Amino acid sequence: MTSIGTGYDLSVSTYSPDGRVFQVEYAQKAVDNSGTAIGLRVKDGVVLAVEKIKHSRLLVPNSNKRIMTAGTHIGVASAGWMSDTRHLVKRARDEARHYNSTYKSPIPANIIAERMGMYVQAYTLYSAVRPFGVSTLLATMDADGPQLYMIEPSGQYMGYHGCAVGKGKQAAKTEIEKLDLSTMSVRDAVKEAARIIYSVHDSSKDKLFELELSWVCGESGGIHTHVPQDLFNEAVEYAENADASDDEDDEMDDDE
Amino acid sequence: MLAQAEHQQQSAAGFKFDNVKRNQLLTGKGFKQSTATKTGTTIVGLIYKDGVVLGADTRATADTIVADKNCEKIHYLAPNMYCCGAGTAADTEFTTNMVSSQIALHSLNTGREARVATAMTMLKHHLFRHQGYIGAALVLGGYDITGPHLYSIAPHGSTDKLPFVTMGSGSLAAMSMFESRWRPNMSRDEAVELVKDAIEAGIFNDLGSGSNVDICILTQGNVEYVRGYSRPNERVEKEQSYRFPRGTTEFYVTKTTETATAMDTSA
Amino acid sequence: MSKLKPGEISMGTTIMAVEFDGGVVLGADSRTSSGPYIVNRVTDKLTMVNENIYCCRSGSAADTQAVADIVRYQLDQYTAQHGEPPTVKVAASLFQEICYQNRSQLMAGIIIAGWDKREGGSVYDIPLGGSLHREPFSLGGSGSTYVYGYCDKTFRRGMSKEECIEFVKNTVSLAMTRDGSSGGVVRLAVITKDGVERHIIPGNQLPEQYTG
Repeated sequence: MTSIGTGYDLSVSTYSPDGRVFQVEYAQKAVDNSGTAIGLRVKDGVVLAVEKIKHSRLLVPNSNKRIMTAGTHIGVASAGWMSDTRHLVKRARDEARHYNSTYKSPIPANIIAERMGMYVQAYTLYSAVRPFGVSTLLATMDADGPQLYMIEPSGQYMGYHGCAVGKGKQAAKTEIEKLDLSTMSVRDAVKEAARIIYSVHDSSKDKLFELELSWVCGESGGIHTHVPQDLFNEAVEYAENADASDDEDDEMDDDE
Repeated sequence: MLAQAEHQQQSAAGFKFDNVKRNQLLTGKGFKQSTATKTGTTIVGLIYKDGVVLGADTRATADTIVADKNCEKIHYLAPNMYCCGAGTAADTEFTTNMVSSQIALHSLNTGREARVATAMTMLKHHLFRHQGYIGAALVLGGYDITGPHLYSIAPHGSTDKLPFVTMGSGSLAAMSMFESRWRPNMSRDEAVELVKDAIEAGIFNDLGSGSNVDICILTQGNVEYVRGYSRPNERVEKEQSYRFPRGTTEFYVTKTTETATAMDTSA
Repeated sequence: MSKLKPGEISMGTTIMAVEFDGGVVLGADSRTSSGPYIVNRVTDKLTMVNENIYCCRSGSAADTQAVADIVRYQLDQYTAQHGEPPTVKVAASLFQEICYQNRSQLMAGIIIAGWDKREGGSVYDIPLGGSLHREPFSLGGSGSTYVYGYCDKTFRRGMSKEECIEFVKNTVSLAMTRDGSSGGVVRLAVITKDGVERHIIPGNQLPEQYTG
């Protein structure tokens, strides 16, 4: 941010001399401060996982969900401002419902991603508005199979096999790249997703966190929903064990 | 703001059917609505080897009265398109005029000659939007980049694309000529002759049609519009004179009365 | 549901469509009339709305042409936006939306049939009130009432393409000879993944049947 303070960062309706719109980049910063969210698209489904950082012990466990459903077959996980996310999810629901009422078929992933991208992009054009402070992961399952999209505050959207947003995104991406997503089953993906969230969680900075896991796949009936409790427990166990052995590795490293 | 408010009030858009129910009620109670001048008509069109021939009679009627003995029913639409109108005379006139100016603007915008299908679509949209209340039955003919085209357009906005069409009250008489004599790839002379005969069939056999035959021949880059191509109802020299010779009425007395006297104004 | 307006041109019609494994066959007569007068004796009531989707139109000519024009436009938009042609179901739901929303003003009975890569051949029917039905075969228009019995007796699931063509040809020509508002030629369209074939059977070459 070489140009901070030069006056070109006050409005989305002004470019900086080197062709940047700083407000959009700052929105991206807001995303980077948030708890990590990841999405894995595997051969038979899509998994979303979120590291929900708890600011207080007084928060009720399992409430204040960060993964939402925008239409029976569409899951949304995001990093950034939750209030902005809710607004976007409302928009996504409206788009999905409208599409369904005109075409009597579920909205395809690329179409809802495009429409949401267009909507987000519109908030990067006018001085009277602020860009969305969220990166949104869209997980869907339709006739073309499982799909995963990510929409950034700039309105840019792309399809992914796996992606990560939020403060742990670099570490998470490194982990995701090690996975063979094209052959992995969705059940294994749930466990891996849990493991990655646990591994990127930085307990020195954020003491408390809650894992959220959802999927859309054949086993869920093509519907996006939070994973069943038994699978969730299994995933957490897998994640905690993996985390513990990582720590052991670290200790061994220390010994050397 | 004021202008905007006014605009919003006006832009309740389009044709209003508010009075239809009221008028039906009044008619039911015996109120006679005034009638528009209808052209009981014969109009036809025919595609031949190198183009399209349109034909029309020239009688306009108001109820049982012949309102105009030599009216023009083949309307100009564009340099390469003409359109025959049957039904309510005012409606055919205004509809073709309006589409004509839309077509002119359209070809100015595109920098090309408009297509016949474009005019057909404009006409059918306009007529459909008004749900048959614009009483215009049209035969549209023209020659564009894709060749000769001929359409008939009914008042409710349905269209037919055919090698030969007839419309109006004389359409049955005219169609009988086409159905018996039409062949594919006719020569220009054959086509014009058949169109003339079809219109004359209407003129002679349909009460609503009469007077002369107008013809319009559209070919690539050329239009030939012939007013009164055939005049089968020319008033002929009367065989007898009904003028009375001088002296038919006898008179017995002649009397001259001076009604004014000359005055001397020189003083 | 509206009645035909005075002087309105109607397609007193026989239309039908049949599904077979890998495609559909559509059939229609060719008569368009205004009262007792035949306005067009070679009408094409099988109207293309997208690459591999056609509709059969019955009712008011003006209304069904207008509806088909709108749907064709919407399906063009759809193809551009989605980068692939719509399914027959999508086309049928667009037709239904218009037919239902404007049911008080329209006189339109439409059958939609075609081929798509999801479902293969499929046939949808939208009768006067604007409801939508998927059926293995569907009949429509004034002539259909005369041949429902014949169809119920003759139709079998799993007929081949050739059998379906014969079935449609026979049904439409039977209806044409009994229904005064149907007649002219039989028009057929066969839609498969390879595209559309059109056939015309002239009025004097209809299948043999009792003619009195």
